[in-house]
Amino acid sequence: MAVTPDVTDASARLEDLIDTAHRIRASIESVIEGKSDVVRLTITVLLAEGHLLIEDVPGVGKTMLAKALARSIDCPVKRVQFTPDLLPSDITGVSAYNQQTREFEFKPGPVFANIVVGDEINRASPKTQSALLECMEEHQVTVDGVTYALEAPFMVIATQNPIEMEGTYPLPEAQRDRFTAKIAMGYPEPAAELEMLDVHGASQPLDKMEPVATTAEVAALIEAVRAVYVSQPVKRYAVDMVAATRHSPDLRLGASPRATLHLVRSARAHAALSGRDYVIPDDLQELAVPVLAHRLLPSLEAQGQRRRPEQLVGELVRRVPVPDAK
Amino acid sequence: MKLPVAAGLATAAVTITLYPLFEGGTWFWSCIGTILVVTVTGTVASRLGARPWVAPAVTPVAVLIYLTLVFTPDEAWLRIIPTKDSIVRLAELIGSGYDDIQRYAAPVPDNPGIMLLTTAGVALIALLVDVFAVRLRRAALAGLPMLGLFTVPAAVITDPIGWIAFVVAAFGYIGLLVADGRERLSRWGRAVVVRRSSGASRGAAPDTERLALSGKRIGVTAIALAVLVPALLPVLSPDPLFGFGVGNGLGGGGGNIGIPDAIAKLGGQLRQQRNATVLTYTSSDDVPRYLRIYSLDVFDGTKWTLAPLRGRPEDRVSEGPLPPVPGLRPGVAVKRAEMRVTMSEEIDRLHFLPLPYPARQVEADGDWRADRASLMVFSTEDEAAGLDYRVTTEEPEPTLTELRTAVTLPDTDRYLQLPEGLDPRVAALAHRVTADAASSYEAAVKLQEWFTRDGRFTYDVRASGSGAQALSRFLLRDRIGYCEQFAGAMAVMARLLNIPARVSIGYTGGTKIGNEWTVRTHDAHAWPELFFDGIGWLRFEPTPTGAAGQGTAQVPLYSLPVTPTDDPTANPSGGPSSSEDDDAGQSAGPARPNPRQLDRDLDGTAIAADPGTPLPVKIGIGAAAALALLLLPAAARVVVRRRRLRRVTRTAAGGHAAWAELRDMLTDLGMAGEPSETPRALGRRIGERYALGPQAAEALTRVVTSEERLRYAPTPSASGPVPADLHRIRRDLASKASRWRRLGAALAPMSVLLRVRAAGEGALDVFDRLEGLRLWRGRPGGTRAATTPERPGGTRAGADDPARELTLTGARR
Repeated sequence: MAVTPDVTDASARLEDLIDTAHRIRASIESVIEGKSDVVRLTITVLLAEGHLLIEDVPGVGKTMLAKALARSIDCPVKRVQFTPDLLPSDITGVSAYNQQTREFEFKPGPVFANIVVGDEINRASPKTQSALLECMEEHQVTVDGVTYALEAPFMVIATQNPIEMEGTYPLPEAQRDRFTAKIAMGYPEPAAELEMLDVHGASQPLDKMEPVATTAEVAALIEAVRAVYVSQPVKRYAVDMVAATRHSPDLRLGASPRATLHLVRSARAHAALSGRDYVIPDDLQELAVPVLAHRLLPSLEAQGQRRRPEQLVGELVRRVPVPDAK
Repeated sequence: MKLPVAAGLATAAVTITLYPLFEGGTWFWSCIGTILVVTVTGTVASRLGARPWVAPAVTPVAVLIYLTLVFTPDEAWLRIIPTKDSIVRLAELIGSGYDDIQRYAAPVPDNPGIMLLTTAGVALIALLVDVFAVRLRRAALAGLPMLGLFTVPAAVITDPIGWIAFVVAAFGYIGLLVADGRERLSRWGRAVVVRRSSGASRGAAPDTERLALSGKRIGVTAIALAVLVPALLPVLSPDPLFGFGVGNGLGGGGGNIGIPDAIAKLGGQLRQQRNATVLTYTSSDDVPRYLRIYSLDVFDGTKWTLAPLRGRPEDRVSEGPLPPVPGLRPGVAVKRAEMRVTMSEEIDRLHFLPLPYPARQVEADGDWRADRASLMVFSTEDEAAGLDYRVTTEEPEPTLTELRTAVTLPDTDRYLQLPEGLDPRVAALAHRVTADAASSYEAAVKLQEWFTRDGRFTYDVRASGSGAQALSRFLLRDRIGYCEQFAGAMAVMARLLNIPARVSIGYTGGTKIGNEWTVRTHDAHAWPELFFDGIGWLRFEPTPTGAAGQGTAQVPLYSLPVTPTDDPTANPSGGPSSSEDDDAGQSAGPARPNPRQLDRDLDGTAIAADPGTPLPVKIGIGAAAALALLLLPAAARVVVRRRRLRRVTRTAAGGHAAWAELRDMLTDLGMAGEPSETPRALGRRIGERYALGPQAAEALTRVVTSEERLRYAPTPSASGPVPADLHRIRRDLASKASRWRRLGAALAPMSVLLRVRAAGEGALDVFDRLEGLRLWRGRPGGTRAATTPERPGGTRAGADDPARELTLTGARR
């Protein structure tokens, strides 16, 4: 078979990518034990230019994961602790009057960074939440009529407590839709927890972390992921899968077209991380639950039966037939 | 909104079955037009929410306008508004159409009168179907008017309706039932109402798909069985070999015996494609004889029927000779012959024995009795099928003098009765034809001669009817018919001439095959018998014989016109009649070789012996065919596998073929996965669960990877699978499967069966199209309640709409 230079180039870049991604992964896993799939998904979302929502009970390492990722990449990282009294301008920044220059000066908020960690995002008021979400979607901030572009790459890692917890404002579905994926950390395995005690018992592991990749490298990786090939049947499969959520009687709200976009984008990243320059349905199947579930509203019947959206998506995935070649 | 359309389609489907009645095709479009008018009117009425009685009231008006437009536009105002003239013209057309229908046998030409009648009739049926199915919501009852329409061709013509037409009609009806059931179900609302059900509008309509699917399956299976089972089982043949039968409820000692329309069955037998053997016989003098089954002596103006039979216990044939031959004087010479008859096993419900006339002695197993008047032999308990019996006959051989001097006795009145209102022209014709005859016998000979020669009749088994009207048509206009018309017409004319006459139904002498005479379905025949005192009943043969007529019919010698040289004693009666005889003798006398006789002889020798297939062989053939049918999937599987293996190596996309083969292999072995299983996942599952050997696992990976890359990657993999890979995988997998699985995979491969089923389900999509049919857009399912306002801005947003909540939780209309 004739091998074109393009392909060589692409595979070379792909190998670089895997190498870099593995370094980031190893770095994070040195801090978060026994959660390799969570770590992998985090990197997938990073490479898919998406944003990640981590939901779980306090103390399982949500913030740790976000921070570890931020530390692994040599880039500006900002962290915002969301509280009920947090204001939108606390996130985007304010124009302050400089008495020396007699001009208004823009003081950039914490969103002006490559990675923004929004801790306990559901503790802030909806107004503040939406300020952040706007930045996420548009990659820009508009203050007093002036638009400021955000850094690239730009990733928001938000953590939230389950909505049943006290003192939270649940994210409306329209805003959850902006997050590419939502993951739950889950409690660590006993063995992993034991190891954690040994490693972290005495010191703060985050302090010892060194960046393993640069912003430029990450940008290149993202560029490489964009080149991953998605065949027509796979695109159709993604559309079918999302359409299935819209037609399921168990769901009150199906996934949006944006969800389709996020699904395919993250599938590209997933394929690239697996060393493939093309997407296969397996990528979509693996990502369907984290990418789609948080956008869906189960019907009351399904809620009454205590069926969670994750479960429903899993059932749908089993029902949608895998596309053949044309 | 689909139900009126389904009703219209169903009527149209049944209308198709009228096709054998017409020569052309224009009637069909005219009928479709009227169905369209009825359907559209009904649909508009439902659409406007009119009360149920509005549509049946308005539809006739619409149909009238349609009929006016199509048939009498010139007389109408603006070509469509009926005026007095146009109504009168329509009435005239109906009258002429009615006359035409009386005059013609099917297939009739589609002239305006007949078309108008047909169109109006179909409109009536369409209206009834609409009323039953749409207005009264009794879709099953709507089958009755459709059945009425369906029986029209079945009643008019004896040939069975083509099975394709039947299938179309049945599908139409089932489509109507399905549409009705669907709509009915959708009105029930949801089965279980939780406080607020899923907000999506589609959730409001119950999911009828599965129900409809099983309904469709049942319907399709029923139709398939209705078509296939009669075709496969000879016993249930839609046109049985013999329809002759005896009425029920007969006393043992005698009573009334009726035969349901023996004549109609006769035509059916003659027109039948299959020429089955009815009986075989040998006779002591090796001369073929007509075998009579029924003697029809009552003509009521519509058909010839049987007077009540009397079978007294003392007239049992086992008791001795049959009752004396009516009318035969002792002095008349008779010819005695013995026959041994073997009836076929396949005959259906025949309670009469086919016998030569006059039979003197019958030896048959069972309670067979003779009717004194007609010498018919029948049984109320036993059937003729498979019977083997002996019969002795004594045929009168009267001299010419005896024939010429024979007169009619007064007590034979019942054989002279004719219905009122017979066309006087028939009587005139009878007298004209026999104007010169000096005696009853000569008149009879003249009649026969006129039928067979001078009258220029044409033999055609497609003609129908033997009633008074058909008789007039046959004698005065068409002169086309077959034995039924010939025999009936001659018997009527003989009665008009005061010669007692009756019509006999039975078989001709048949064809000699080997040592015996074989009588087949196509030898079914009708002939007149005329009564001459002192001699009794004599058979005449007005039907053309030979190749252009009833093939095995024979003209009795005594009925041929005689020449003076033939019988010198036969000339005393004087001038006019003898000269007439001369004329006749020159043209058709036996001095000349009789062409019919030649045909007869040819027929006797030219037909090759057909011993038929013995039953064990038939069973063997059937079993072999069934076995072949059962093994068809296995054979198909082998063919498919071979073709794929060839393709694996030869073509660039060989990976697909290998993959398809792998999938089918797994399906056959019961190892198939879900449709959502990706190639990679399948490879993983098979490799792990069935613990393939290293070589097979490698082969599996090759097949899977190749397929995956072919499907999803921009470039296919460098090395594809080879046939050996598939062999290896199959060997390994088969060793993991149970013995029964392996056997099943070889003999009844599921992959083929599933494909057949998928094809069958594809055929069911006809129904889905029917159901999906909507006249108006924008009312999905047609079930959304009127209380739900159409909300701009997405359907999902409506989920929280209180109005919607009301609709969903409240009972549906």
